[in-house]
Formats: sequence, C-alpha cells, structure tokens
Amino acid sequence: MIAIAALILRFALAIALYAFLGWTMLTLWQELKQHSDFLASQKKPGINILAALENGREVRHLFFQSEVTIGRDPNCDFPIVDEAVSVHHARVSYHHAQWWLEDLASTNGTFIGKSRVSVPTVLIPGDQFKCGNTAFTVQMELIDEKLSPIVKQQTDS
Amino acid sequence: MNKIIQSRLLRIAATFLLLQALIVTLSPAVRLRAWDADYRFSHWIALAWWGLFVARAHYDITRKLPDADPYLFPAAALISGWGLLTIWRLEPGFGIRQMLSFGVSLLILIVGTRLKDIEFLRRYKYILLTGGLFLVALTLIFGTNPSGSGLRLWLGYKDLYLQPSEPLKLLLITYLAAYLADKLPARLRTIHILYPTVILSGIVILLLIVQRDFGTAAIFTTLYTIIIYLATSRKRILLIALLLLAFVSVAGYNFVGIVQARVNSWVNPWNDPSGSSYQIIQSLIAVANGGILGTGPGLGNPQHVPVAISDFIYTAIAEETGLIGTLGLLALISLIIARGLRAALHAPDLFRRILAAGVTTYFGVQSILIVGGNLRLLPLTGVTLPFVSYGGSSLLTSFIALLFLLHISNHLDVDPAPLPKPQPYLALGAFLFLGLFASALTNGWWSVVRGPDLLTRPDNLRRIVEESYVPRGLLLDSANTIINTNRGDIGSYARDYKYIDLAPVTGYTDPTYGQAGLEAALDDYLRGIKGSATSILLWNNLLYGTNPPGLDVRLSIDLYLQSRADEMLAGKSGAAILLNAQSGEILVMASHPTFNPNLLAESGSNLLADPDKPLINRAAQGQYPTGSIMLPFMQALKDDDPIKVYMTFGFYEAPQIQLPAAPAPGNESALRVSPLQVALATAALSADGTIPAPRIAMAVNTPGAGWIPLPALGNSIEAIQASAAGEAVISYLVEDQSYWRHIGGAREGGSSFTWFIGGTPPNWQATPLAIVVILEEDNARLAERIGQELLIDAMHP
Repeated sequence: MIAIAALILRFALAIALYAFLGWTMLTLWQELKQHSDFLASQKKPGINILAALENGREVRHLFFQSEVTIGRDPNCDFPIVDEAVSVHHARVSYHHAQWWLEDLASTNGTFIGKSRVSVPTVLIPGDQFKCGNTAFTVQMELIDEKLSPIVKQQTDS
Repeated sequence: MNKIIQSRLLRIAATFLLLQALIVTLSPAVRLRAWDADYRFSHWIALAWWGLFVARAHYDITRKLPDADPYLFPAAALISGWGLLTIWRLEPGFGIRQMLSFGVSLLILIVGTRLKDIEFLRRYKYILLTGGLFLVALTLIFGTNPSGSGLRLWLGYKDLYLQPSEPLKLLLITYLAAYLADKLPARLRTIHILYPTVILSGIVILLLIVQRDFGTAAIFTTLYTIIIYLATSRKRILLIALLLLAFVSVAGYNFVGIVQARVNSWVNPWNDPSGSSYQIIQSLIAVANGGILGTGPGLGNPQHVPVAISDFIYTAIAEETGLIGTLGLLALISLIIARGLRAALHAPDLFRRILAAGVTTYFGVQSILIVGGNLRLLPLTGVTLPFVSYGGSSLLTSFIALLFLLHISNHLDVDPAPLPKPQPYLALGAFLFLGLFASALTNGWWSVVRGPDLLTRPDNLRRIVEESYVPRGLLLDSANTIINTNRGDIGSYARDYKYIDLAPVTGYTDPTYGQAGLEAALDDYLRGIKGSATSILLWNNLLYGTNPPGLDVRLSIDLYLQSRADEMLAGKSGAAILLNAQSGEILVMASHPTFNPNLLAESGSNLLADPDKPLINRAAQGQYPTGSIMLPFMQALKDDDPIKVYMTFGFYEAPQIQLPAAPAPGNESALRVSPLQVALATAALSADGTIPAPRIAMAVNTPGAGWIPLPALGNSIEAIQASAAGEAVISYLVEDQSYWRHIGGAREGGSSFTWFIGGTPPNWQATPLAIVVILEEDNARLAERIGQELLIDAMHP
C-alpha cells in the first residue's frame, strides 16, 4: 500500500522534472514566435531603382524584398548589360531600418558622387550611385508587406 | 516576462525537490512494506535551507539583473538541490556540509548581483591569476586530503577545506578572456599565445606530476584549447592540442600509476572486477539496477558504489531515478550550456563573449568528463559534476561561474559585438551537445540493453540486500516437513537451517560465502524469479525494486530415512544414497562429515580450510575409485572390459540433476566415480536394466497454480536387458532376506574405501529401490549395517 503511494509520488516526481523542461521549451517557443512576429510586423519601404544605361535607355525596377543584388549575371535581382559592371557588382539591402549600399568587391568599384563605396553606406531617397557606366537613382516607398505580395515590376521606357 | 519565467521555473523545481524529499521520508516504510517504520525527516532541513536561499537569490537577481537569462538560475538551483538531497540521503553528515557550502555559494551569488558589472575582472586579470597560482603553490607545499589519505589536493584550515584547482579553472578562464580581448583587436601573432601557453603548461605539468590529478589536467588543457580556438578560430590549434593531449596521455599512462590503472580499468574492466575496476563495475551495476524508471529516491542502494556522493553522484541519481531522471538531468545541463552559449553570442564585447563561452565550456566539459567516466564512455577521472557533486569548492566555483553568465546575459538593447567567424562557436556547441547525447545513449545502453545481464553478476551486492527484505522460498521434504526456512523480520531475514545434517546437500546461502548445493541450484525458484508470473515480477520490481517473495520447493528427500542414515554415518567420512530405482527420486542423500550452516558466519573460514572438506557433498561431488564394486555390473553385461562397463552404465557422463555434481570423468580406465553415478547404475540392476533420470527437486509451489511438478533434467537410459539385470542380481540375493547386496573395497594411494551397493530383487512388487554406501575407510561391517538397515526400513515402511 505504502509502496503504491510511493510509486505515485515517483511518477509525480518525473512529471515535475519534465514539467520544468516542458515549461522551458514552451516559453522558449513563445519567445521565438514573439520575435518572429515582431520581425514580420516590421514595415519596410520598398525600393525603386532607376538605372540609366550607357545607350541612353532607362530601366526601372521596384523591389519589396530586403536584399537586391546588381550585376551582369542574369540571375541578379537587377541584371545590367554593361561590360564595365562585374558579374556580382553591388548589393542594396535593408537592415537596421535603413537601406544600405555595399560593393561586392567589383572590379571597377561602386561610386556615390566621386567617392568609392568601400564600407556599407546608407541610402536615402534621391541618392544616386554608379556601377561601371550605369547610373542608378533610388526612391523609397512605404508599403505594408502583409497587404501586397512580393512583386517585381518592370517598366521599360 | 523574465521574472515570471524564472519564478515559475523555480516553483516547479521546488515541487520536484519537495516530492523527492517526500519519497525519501517514506522510503524506510516502503522498504519494510509497512506503515510502522522510522521515517526519515532530517533532509527537510536541507530543503528548507535550499528554499530560503533560492528565494532570496531569485529576489535579488530579478531586481538587480532584470534582463539576465531566466533559465540559468532555475536550472542550476534545481540540479544543485537534487544533488543536495541525494547527498543527504546517502550520508547525512556530508549533507550538512554540502548544505552549508550551498548557503555560502548562494550568499556570494546574492552579493554578486549587486555588482554593477564584471568589467573589473578584466582590469585585475594579473592579480587574479597570480592569486590562483599562489593558491596552487600553497597546495603543493601544505596540501592535505580531508579523508586523511589519497591525493593531496586540498588546502585545509581546521574543518574547512578548499580545493584550489576548482577556482583556478575560473581564474584561468577569466585571465584568458581578458588577455585575448586585449590582444585580439590587433592582429594576433603566435607570440601572443606563447605567454599564456607557458602558464597553462606549467599548471598542467604540476597537476599531473606533483598532484597526479589527471582529470583536472585534462580539463585545463581542453578549456585552454577551446578558448584559444574561439578567440582565433584557427583549426591548427585543435590539432596541436590533440597531439599535446595524446602526448600527456601517453606520458601519464607510462609514468603515473593511477592513470595507468584508470585506463586499464576503462578498456578492460571485466578482468579485475574486485580490484581496480571495482568502482566502475559497481557503478554500471547501479545504473543497470535503476533501469528506466529507477528504484525511487531513498529506495536504491547506490551506497555500494564507492564515493557515491561526489565522483559517482550521477550513478546514484541513475539508480534512484532511472533513465527518466538522468535524461532530465542531462537535458538540464544542456539547457545551461545552450543558454550560456547564447549569452556568449549576445555579449556586447569580446571579453564578455570569451568569458561566457569559457564558463559554458567549463560546465560542459566537466559534466561530460565525469558522466562519461561513470558510464564507461570515457576513462574515469575524479572530477565533480558541477552543481550536483559533493564538494564546497566545486559548488562555489559553479555558482560564481553562473553569476558571470547572469551578468553577461543582462543586456537587452545593446548590440552584440561583431562575430567575424561563427564556426568555432557552432563547433563548440556541437561538441558539447554531442558529448551529452553520447552520455545519454550510453546510459540507455547500460540501463536497458545490458541491464539484465549486469544484475545477475555475482558481485551485485543488491542481491544480498534483497535477501534480507524478501523472504526466500522454503525447502521441504517429501512430506512437506521444513528443511530450510527463514528467520528474523523483514529487513533482517536470514536463512534458518532446520535439518542440519543435510547441509552438504541443501547447501547454504550467505552474504559472505555465497551459495552452495540446492540453495544455489534452485536459487531462481527460491528467489521467485522462475515460476512467478511476469506481471508479478514486473509489479514487484516497479514497487520495491526487488523480486517477488520466493517460492517453496518440495524435495524427494524422506526426512525419516535421511535421519536414520545420518545417525549411522555420524562421526565417519562417507556418503549414502537411497533412491527409487524406477522414478529416480532420491529418498536419502547423506554426506559426512557435515557442518552447521546456521553458524556459517562464525565458522565459514575454518570450514573452507578443513582438510575433511565438510562443505563438499560427497554423495554427488565426491569421486572414488571403483575397485571390486564393479563385479555385478560386469556380470550383468557379461563382459570383463571395464571401459565397456563404464560406458554402458553411464560412468562417463555427469548425472543431470538440480545439484552441483562431479563433472564427467575423462576416458581413462582407472576411473573415479561419484556415489550418485554408482547409485544410478545400481538402480538399473534393481529395475529392469534402465538407468533412471535422477530427481531431487520434485515440485514448486506457485502462487497462481499451486504445486507444479518439476520434471527431471535428464532422460532415463535403457542400459541392459531386464533379464540380464535380473540374472546378475540373483547371485547377490541375501538368504532369508528379500534384497540383494554386494560389498566391495578399493584402494588408492594410502587410503582404503568400502562400497556397499544393493537393492530390491527382480520380482519385488512394491517400489524398486537402489542403495549405495561409501565409507572412506576399510569397514565392510559398518557399510553393510548401514546399507541393510536403510534398505529394510525403506522396503517396509
């Protein structure tokens, strides 16, 4: 009889041990969920990049993802046909609530005005930068990502 | 939020410890299987003490370090409370000391929460290191061991002892973190590592050569390597360290005796289970005894493992809470490691990052080393299990390390320092988790897969403990008269031998001298392992961690005839067997000189040394020259070739019976035979030429189905024609008496022996009988008197 009482207590003991671990996992999962919800709910502006090619044509792309690569590779987010542009030339990315421009060790470099981009540099609306012989102008648009799916618009003019 | 998580976790931890304390309180009653017992209460002081300090520490942590990791302190509090209760349950005297150490450790933790940050450690790194080395130097000169012998690793003052190598680990981590954080922003050159390397090598060599503490040396080397690797992310360092470790191991193996012994007992423990491998094998048996569910706190017997409170505390926990408990324990250690590494990655600067990672490595490596050592995954090293093991220095060091982690994790909105190469941290995490995972798998291997085998080992001391708590089955004669029973009460059961002269046959069961005779042969029934339903076995194991009550066994022995034989053989050396020639049931099996098994504890060693060998059952185990006793068998076979006779009557085979019997003799013609073999052959002459299968254990009394007959182990063999047996016996018939007999003598060396064989005549209508008497002297008159009286008594009951 007393052994059965002890047996029940022993099961309760095991349950308490795993309750500790279970509660730990539950709160860790909640934290994870909270964190990911927080990240997902953050609004970030889309970026509108206008490229003026050497032949005088203009290409405009609107991006909603947080990372845009520019280069001669057709797989780049913004492919450029320009001999002076490297295969993967530059990256425009969104973090710390800013759009940043960084050079991907390109041959001819990326320039804002006259200065070469050597460290990631913050972009603000209206900024212009140059890769090879192509000049780019950026514009930001605040869009709630939850409402519109990620699209890639292309306007030739 | 952090406060809520931490307080909820601490409440669950308190519940866990409360339940554990409750079970320990009830444990004496469970062992005695009665409510009337000496309940244990003293450990509740430890629990109250734990609650007091943990509550206060919780209050201070949430107030002073509001953003500190909320999982670290509850996990550490739970496992240190678990250790405290386990130590108290094993040795209350050490429990009190551990309780005081716990109080001091938490007091320092509480005061430590008041520090603004731990940046000051960085400034005073040289002072800290020098202080640590000074302590080590002091130990080299004034070192003692609290137990009076063994490794002198402690600094003692009156009753207080400190093991400097414990805080030195933390000092080394702090120093390395500060040093590397200062040097790293510049390009690190090999020359920069040279300086700390020299210091470390010095410590390791001192530890190894002077103090012979291989475990701590291994921890220092591993800690150092991992920290340098984390800081520089150069893989080459790991390679160098591996080579160094290999060198140290080889050197240690060759020049330090204790290292050699430990490695040998790790590689090959089964060779020397009572010597150098005693600890590890007892540890594995304890783990096996725990199984999956464990015996329950206070209900196991981990005190049989040496130093169960410190080196083998993991084993003690494994036995009492089973695989379920140890998996939880390993998960808690993993939790501390995971949160420690997280604190390292989120640390705002390099110093704190390396410090956090170093402290986490200390927890992880030391846990793996000792848990692996307990489970024979790694060679055994005498390091402590952080937070759990007995030892004030270790407990204090662990809680100061925890304080570091709490401080380092107490940053919410500060960006982590940049991490140029994440691989070393990922590799460290993988290494530590793999180590703990391997420990969990090994634990499962010993407690589930190999467990049943380990528990049947003769050096499993739990069997002896079990004998005093679970009544052993009785041995009864053919009329259910008690031969062997139990005396004493639950907790002190001992075997009581009612019919002493039968001792060489029934044998004994004794904690010191083991088992012999029928007690050994029928042990599985007498201990309730065989014959009990599986559900009863499982239920008893679950409730009490023991086998069910033993089952009674009825023998074929007739105590009246047996006492007649013993009266007549008294004072002589010899044996007598009377059996039912048809069924093989042994009615009398006497062996003299005999002994009193009730006095085995006092006289056991004398009996073992006695030249008359009273412990031997001469009837079944004795081997005597045949001499002229073979005549009737030759006549029955009508052949003079002794080898043919031996072959036909089965003298080359050991009898199949539930008794230790003499082994089958080799194929030589100068054969020595046991009285039991002669008795079986004689039975063939008395009963139509067939050698019966001998039987002594007739039936077992099972709780479900009552008496169940036990079949004979062997088969009866048709040796000769029934007519041939009858013809041979006729010439030996005694005038005026209705039995046959033959007396023979044999000589060997300077000794003479007298054989008597006999039995019922061919036309006997009742039970056919066969008898053998052997005397270790030349005394045909006595042999004849014994044989004749026994036979007539048996024929005319």
